Amino acid sequence: MTTRIRLARAGVLALAGLLALGALSAPAWAQKRGGTLTIVRPTDPVSLDPQLETTAPGAWVYYNMLEPLLALDEKMQLQLKLAASYEVLSPTKVRFKLRPGVKFHDGTPLNAAAVKFSFDRALKGTPPARWASLAGSLAGAEVVDDLTVDVVTKEPYGPILRTLAMTYPSIVSPTAVQKLGQDFSRAPVGTGPFKFVEWKTNTHVIIERNPDYWGDKALLDRVVFKVVPEEGARMIALQTGDADMVLLPSPAQLPALKKDPKFTVHEVVGGRVVFAGIHAGLAPTDDARVRAAMLHAVDRKTILENIMEGSAVPARGVLAPSVFGFKDMGLDRQYPFDRAKAKALLAQAGWTPGADGIMQKGGQKLTVSWIAARGRYPKDGEITEAIQAMFKEVGIDAKVQFLEWGTVFQQVRGATLSYNMFTLGWVTTNADADYSLYALFHSKQTPPTGWNTSRYANPKVDALVEQARKSLNQSEREKLYAEVQDILAKDMVWIPVYNTKEIVVTRASVKGFTVHPVEYNLGLWKTWLDK
Amino acid sequence: MLTFVVRRLLLAIPVLLGVIFVVMLTVELIPGDAVALMLGEHATREAVAALRDFLGLDKPLPVRYVEYVGRLARGDLGRSMQQNRPVIDELADAWPATLQLTMVALALAAVVGVAAGVVSAVWPNGVFDALARIGALLGLSMPIFWIGLVLIVVFSLWLPWFPVGGAGSPSHLVLPAVTLALPSIAMVARMTRSSVLEVLREDYVRTARAKGVAERLVVAKHALRNAFIPIVTLLGLQAGQLMGGAVLTETVFAWPGLGRLMVKAIFARDYVLLQGAVLVFALAFVVVNLIVDLSYGALDPRISRQG
Repeated sequence: MTTRIRLARAGVLALAGLLALGALSAPAWAQKRGGTLTIVRPTDPVSLDPQLETTAPGAWVYYNMLEPLLALDEKMQLQLKLAASYEVLSPTKVRFKLRPGVKFHDGTPLNAAAVKFSFDRALKGTPPARWASLAGSLAGAEVVDDLTVDVVTKEPYGPILRTLAMTYPSIVSPTAVQKLGQDFSRAPVGTGPFKFVEWKTNTHVIIERNPDYWGDKALLDRVVFKVVPEEGARMIALQTGDADMVLLPSPAQLPALKKDPKFTVHEVVGGRVVFAGIHAGLAPTDDARVRAAMLHAVDRKTILENIMEGSAVPARGVLAPSVFGFKDMGLDRQYPFDRAKAKALLAQAGWTPGADGIMQKGGQKLTVSWIAARGRYPKDGEITEAIQAMFKEVGIDAKVQFLEWGTVFQQVRGATLSYNMFTLGWVTTNADADYSLYALFHSKQTPPTGWNTSRYANPKVDALVEQARKSLNQSEREKLYAEVQDILAKDMVWIPVYNTKEIVVTRASVKGFTVHPVEYNLGLWKTWLDK
Repeated sequence: MLTFVVRRLLLAIPVLLGVIFVVMLTVELIPGDAVALMLGEHATREAVAALRDFLGLDKPLPVRYVEYVGRLARGDLGRSMQQNRPVIDELADAWPATLQLTMVALALAAVVGVAAGVVSAVWPNGVFDALARIGALLGLSMPIFWIGLVLIVVFSLWLPWFPVGGAGSPSHLVLPAVTLALPSIAMVARMTRSSVLEVLREDYVRTARAKGVAERLVVAKHALRNAFIPIVTLLGLQAGQLMGGAVLTETVFAWPGLGRLMVKAIFARDYVLLQGAVLVFALAFVVVNLIVDLSYGALDPRISRQG
């Protein structure tokens, strides 16, 4: 009897203990449903359809309404989205099984035909979708059965999976596209956790929870994306509580906001590398020793601390660390800031100091011409000027010409480039090294065809990036890209300066939000309001 | 009167045709290619060519001009190149907001400016006059951008009376309208002051006073009505100024108007949308000028007789 009572008591105690444990850890799970999240950002979308817009103002919104077959999570790992599984059938064909029972916001079912329709619309339309240029050799989709679809490429295309995991190849409702016609781009219909409510031009876009979502349903009732073009006004809106979240916050205010318990600063290393590009085919920068001297001459630590003020991190190579195939080039180890080393390398190349401190060779001064825009990328002008001053310290005379972005764009993409250097930024849009290493360093991609603005030509690199592009074996590709980056680190046709951070500021009441390394992937379905 | 109005409106047609041509030429001349900007830096050459062909941008400028004017004659403003949305819809979204803001600012400028100017003129060199003149100087010299932000900080952040920005309720309108109106109030006040002062020195005012008309009536009937012609001209000019100034105010206060639509069109080199917006502005100018001319006649019968 006593034993039974004791046992029972022990049981009650244990149960109470469990309950207490549960109560203690409850706050972590106490997500509240409901409420409206108000977001302020500088510009109105061009369109809410990836067919017409691939830039942030539209993508921030439609990322929550439209879904692709695959997706990248916050750690940049491939995840299944509308696909239940996939299988690589051949180097040009990937078979996808679709999730059963998924419905578009208009109630029509997601099926293989809808996938084919979405891809045909984007790739075969006149004109093709704005994102068709980003899709490499993606050719389209073939229906196998109702829930099975084959995605095919024109040639073996290694980056296909990450290409399909961009937000652009999202699957749209064929019924809605046919019914709405041109108006679809202002009221898109997809399968996502949020659905479209209203768009008032230059005022706001409203989306609301999709109650019939196939996965974990969104916690917020509504999200209002407001347009506030003026940076100061955006920050004030956050302070007054008119807004819960600010996109593209003012960098100058971040240190104060980080200290203030009323706000949360969310940040992650992003995908864009801003660099000083070097023309490898134009004297005097055609000499690898001169280029190496330039890298040694640049004090990136000073630039990051004094110009970027914590809004970026030092670039670790030509790729961002979030990109598949990234390898740390160890720039600080290979090219430490060392003026003596820089001068020694220049001396090796035959340059000797002149009377004015500028290096000379055969009566010729070491002068490099440089073209740059101001304000295209954060602090691009300031960085250019800082490097110019650092060059002077080792006897390199940089003649910088600042021009409007449109003109700089035309120059560096033109058939001939008559400048030794240029300040640019590059984001690996599909998060696959191919997108950068092939487009930027393959000799066939020299402008006007592609973006090999450095006019770099190395048959070894050409062969490696081609091989990696054709392979669908991802670990093999990773090895090939590592090799490419080792070669590039020796030849160095860039001075990689900084890697952007993606920064979003919210009021402290906004919970469950994680900022994604891909700028446009502003997922809000796990976000909730604690107020 | 009616023939006068019709003739003036018909005269607007060559003006508008000229405006269209200038806009088209300007967009053609500024560096930066619409299609390259639309597709971004990653676009392939084939994609750029396909879109250029779709938009008809491969045709020479005179051909595009004639085509545009031809469509315009049939009442078709075309589709925004960037959004592929009818320009008329874009304008219909933005125009009422700008009109509302401009009208309220103009009314503020007229009422406050004229009142301040008259008081200053009737008691020149007094305390109010001194304050009004300093105020006018400040109103004229402070940039709209700065005034706007100061008003937001004071009346939205410190004293939470008005929303930070956006549109929707009358309270949204207060700060942008005041910001936009301030320089105009200053100008109208100064013009009214000098104009009324001048008229008050005229012989007929002395006559009116001599025959014993009350000072209030002298100012209201004899002086003000005659002083109004330059003021009305200024108000007409200000109406145009305000629409132009609305671009900055709209940006600071996130006001969804025509000014911002135009800026967006310029950055995207979207000449079809830009032309639509400029046409609305040009038409508004023509109409305002017409109203000013007609009001001259109402104020001074001698002018209307000359037709």
